[in-house]
Amino acid sequence: MTQTSPSVLSARGITKSFGGRAVLRGIDLDAQRGDVVTILGGSGSGKSTFLRCLNLLELPDAGTIEIAGTRAPLAHDRHGKARIANPKALNALRTKTAMVFQNFNLWSHMTVLDNVIAAPVHVHGVPRAQAVDRAHGLLEKVGMAGFAGHWPRQLSGGQQQRVAIARALATDPDLMLFDEPTSALDPERVREVLDLMRALAGEGRTMLIVTHEMAFARDVSSHVVHVRDGVIESMGPPALMFGPDASPVFRAFLSP
Amino acid sequence: MDFLGTTSLGLLRAVPVTVLLFLASALGASLVAAVLVAMQQARVTQGLARAWIFVFRGTPLLLQIFMVYYGIAALGPIRHGFLWPAFREPLFCAWLAMTCCCSAYIAEVLRGALGAIPVGQIEAALACGMGRWTRLRLIVAPQVLRLALPAYGNELVMMIKSTSLASSITVLDVTGVAQQVIAHSYRTLDVFCLAAAVYLGMTAALTAVLRRIERSLDPLGSAPR
Ligand SMILES: Nc1ncnc2c1ncn2[C@@H]1O[C@H](COP(=O)(O)OP(=O)(O)O)[C@@H](O)[C@H]1O
Ligand SMILES: [Mg+2]
Repeated sequence: MTQTSPSVLSARGITKSFGGRAVLRGIDLDAQRGDVVTILGGSGSGKSTFLRCLNLLELPDAGTIEIAGTRAPLAHDRHGKARIANPKALNALRTKTAMVFQNFNLWSHMTVLDNVIAAPVHVHGVPRAQAVDRAHGLLEKVGMAGFAGHWPRQLSGGQQQRVAIARALATDPDLMLFDEPTSALDPERVREVLDLMRALAGEGRTMLIVTHEMAFARDVSSHVVHVRDGVIESMGPPALMFGPDASPVFRAFLSP
Repeated sequence: MDFLGTTSLGLLRAVPVTVLLFLASALGASLVAAVLVAMQQARVTQGLARAWIFVFRGTPLLLQIFMVYYGIAALGPIRHGFLWPAFREPLFCAWLAMTCCCSAYIAEVLRGALGAIPVGQIEAALACGMGRWTRLRLIVAPQVLRLALPAYGNELVMMIKSTSLASSITVLDVTGVAQQVIAHSYRTLDVFCLAAAVYLGMTAALTAVLRRIERSLDPLGSAPR
């Protein structure tokens, strides 16, 4: 850890079981400011669960999480069951992150503009006029200028995802979490979202991306992480992970 | 004026009673329903809410009205207590029974709508750090309203018609007046037909209002134009 790239994410020993089945079996992961970490792995290996543990949409059974200097308020009751120690601190942690979902999850009863300004106005207390200004800028950035008054239902999947990314950017998060952002898109729409994410990576956004887009992972990652059966099987810079010295298990995953 | 003219006028004069009973019951039942749904979210209060719904949805409204007016209102502590001025009024008793009964139905409608909110939209709200009240106001309540409106509107239409049961405990609503006229004139079919027409007018007005609300909540929706 250096002075110029302070830690944005530090996750230690994250474990999670569902009904006695261990889905995460001790994951450690760090990210510095500006890192783009892609998480690859087979279906059911625990990638989404890990991402959802970071913003506590799932409660990890054990482990510690620190995001941009804020510690996740995790505690355990006397039976060892995980719980939130402090709801205020929970929301404080979540406001440092933003999540982009596979199915976009735009609020269907709000216009595009209202989706983008909701968190700044109602969570961060930004004056509405200022949030609207910024939202228009963000919509332009994601190529959705002129759609501010549209309803999510009127948009294609790729357009919805770009709005979702604008919504995520609206609070200027320290850490962006992407869970398979292009998996629900038609093949011809995948590019427009990946190009946008490339641009964000170029701007120095700190991003954690679960994806199956190998070329994208190779090009934009600072680190590639291979998750298998709830543990990190191997990780490293893309040159290593996509080169001849990658772990045989990961190579087998890439070309089965 | 001829008989039908006078009768129509009499029936129309009773419309405010029917409308008042309907509006007051709709308001009361909706508030109680919201409380019931909130109670169903917490384990300690869940049982009570379920029991309420079970009892009031499972017994006839007419019986409930009778029980309030002839039963509860006749109990000593009520008769001699501070609530007597209210329970003495048949209109109040009808309102109380309708509020309790219809709250059970509306609670079920709201619960269904709550369960139909896409989980992902709630998670999106959680993920950006929205507190529970902001979530309720910004995401949950508007979605519930939208999802519940067709079925809720149906309940309201049923409620307008159910107000006619109040006539059985001497409330002079539209049906009550109709029965009174029949008792004096011995003309049945034409009087009942006139009364039915008055109810049709009221339900038509309500339907129009509901449709407007539905459209304004959901400009792209499937509500008929
Ligand atoms: N809420 C849940 N309840 C029970 N099992 C779950 C839940 N979420 C995920 N799982 C299980 O955990 C495993 C890992 O899921 P997930 O993290 O979604 O995998 P991935 O995203 O890598 O495909 C899967 O077997 C899945 O069925
Ligand atoms: Mg997944």
